[in-house]
Amino acid sequence: MTCKEVLDALSDYLDADMKEEVVTEMRRHIGVCSDCRAEFDTLSMTIKLYKHESATSMPDGCHDRLVKILEIEKLKLKPGSTKTES
Amino acid sequence: MNPRIEEALTTLGDEVLVRKAQEDDDRAFGELVSRYETKVYSLALKMVRNPEDAEDVLQDTFLRAYRGIKSFKGNSTFSTWIYRITANSALMRLRKKQLPTVSIEDADEREAPVSIADWSPGPVDQLLNQELQQVMDEAIEALPAEFRQVFVLRDIEEISNAEVAEILDLSVAAVKSRLHRARLKVRNRLAAYFNENQKQKRAMGAQR
Repeated sequence: MTCKEVLDALSDYLDADMKEEVVTEMRRHIGVCSDCRAEFDTLSMTIKLYKHESATSMPDGCHDRLVKILEIEKLKLKPGSTKTES
Repeated sequence: MNPRIEEALTTLGDEVLVRKAQEDDDRAFGELVSRYETKVYSLALKMVRNPEDAEDVLQDTFLRAYRGIKSFKGNSTFSTWIYRITANSALMRLRKKQLPTVSIEDADEREAPVSIADWSPGPVDQLLNQELQQVMDEAIEALPAEFRQVFVLRDIEEISNAEVAEILDLSVAAVKSRLHRARLKVRNRLAAYFNENQKQKRAMGAQR
């Protein structure tokens, strides 16, 4: 495999989304080519850093505002309906 | 709501709740909202990158879902359907803001810098600080909207290529291609930051 081919296939390699014989060839190339190894390591670290992003929660009042908007929509779509308790 | 009804609804699967919601059971729709609102908000926030727009996307998503629930045929799961509405709503908002975009087809420039210093050895916890977090945010903000969608769904939300393809109505090959290019763009931003950091450290070392 050439360096270009390795670079083009790096994402599939990182996602373990390729045939075993290609994996073996990629592993061999990365083992001996320091440029491709740096490409692999930094791309892999980039993905790890973003996976580390903390989970977000909704701001205060966000749920209540959503429920209210849906209630208004309900009254528009189904004028005869009554307010749902929540 | 009657606690017994509420409890009963929380034990039902999405499919049953969808069916009930399609039969005008608003409590069932309410349960779907409770189940998915945080996920939808989180996905929206990661795409539009500010809380006000994320809340607008959240509201728009559930309004569309409420209006369209009867036309949901169940060919995909409810979660895929609601994520698809979220992704579309976020994309429209980004386009309205005229986010700098490049044509996806034209963006085939060489993504990798000529030489990349390997900044990867080092535990994630040690690397992550406020400054890096800001650089990571900027790197996502700099992505064209269509790349950002794929990157957020795949690498932050950790949704499979096949499901991302379904959510965005793309082929798996297109998802993989956009993902790879998005990753390289993001990585290059981070690489520039780390390279600059290393230069500064070396300069400070030389002054001592």
